[in-house]
Amino acid sequence: MEEIKGAIALIGYGLAAIGPGIGIGIVVGNAIQAMARQPEAANMARTTMFLGIAFTEALALIGFVLFFIA
Amino acid sequence: MDVLILASESCDPATEIICAPENVIELFEFSVPLFSIGPLDFTRTVVLTFLAMFIVIGLLYMGFRERRVVPTKFGVAMESVVSFVRDDLAKGTIGPDGARYAPYLLSIFMFILVANLFELTPGINFPLTSRMAIPLMLAIFTWLIFVIVGFSKNGLHYLFDIVWPKSVPLALRWLVGLIELVSVFVLRPLTLAVRLFANLVAGHLMLTLLLGSGWIFFAAVGDIGARSIIGIPWFLFGLGIFVFEFVVAVLQAYIFTLLSAVYIQTSVQPEH
Repeated sequence: MEEIKGAIALIGYGLAAIGPGIGIGIVVGNAIQAMARQPEAANMARTTMFLGIAFTEALALIGFVLFFIA
Repeated sequence: MDVLILASESCDPATEIICAPENVIELFEFSVPLFSIGPLDFTRTVVLTFLAMFIVIGLLYMGFRERRVVPTKFGVAMESVVSFVRDDLAKGTIGPDGARYAPYLLSIFMFILVANLFELTPGINFPLTSRMAIPLMLAIFTWLIFVIVGFSKNGLHYLFDIVWPKSVPLALRWLVGLIELVSVFVLRPLTLAVRLFANLVAGHLMLTLLLGSGWIFFAAVGDIGARSIIGIPWFLFGLGIFVFEFVVAVLQAYIFTLLSAVYIQTSVQPEH
């Protein structure tokens, strides 16, 4: 059987990136819908979208830190 | 940096150009001081930090040196940056009281922007914010400001409202309070710093790998002949990432400032 090399932390980071990936997709998709329906509120939607992305991204970032710590 | 990296495990020290560094930290660590003044060692990072500071001061000074009826083009550009931070970020997020925090927000926005754009500056090519010390220090400033503002505006209620949220059912209140306590006082500054750090580290590594490997393939034309043509797509891909990294650099400066404003806002007007 072939030997598998590498750090298990890499797999952990990969797993940690799944959830935020889906989450950011949902956030941005809904923000685009909001902007398309109400273009006059696009600025507010954009700011809120960046906030939502930033909070969702936090999970992936914790995974990224653990990758370096582990 | 005289050692370019390539993802090869077997490294011949004789051909120093295709050596991977022992540790990837080598790309970000400049431990050899360039010069020293007394007990203070000035490494490349410290020099670049001062350079970023002087660039920010210089830009703002040049923009607002004298009051004109019709401002110069440069003055208009600087005014739009200032009014963007003060009106959109500070007042738009914190409320009418937000203009008090505009100087701080403008300072970190300009500094992070300049520090991030060092990544793309030819000859420097090193984002200051990819050293953890600098984003962490900026995040600690934001942390100090929102904690001090929270306590001075709301007294000890600021802490009680976090650990004992009234809007949550009693059975879950201690759990939510515990999560909120960790989230506000530990995770907020940590994610604030790591978000900036991680984005710039990733960008720096991608640019180094793509542009570096493209260059290595070009340089190896004598050894591998026509196969060195695979350097061209790598180099073009690197140039594409270069443009993308410009967007990332501006966006991360914006997000750091926006989140600082949002955190200050939660201290000024607690939701619970």
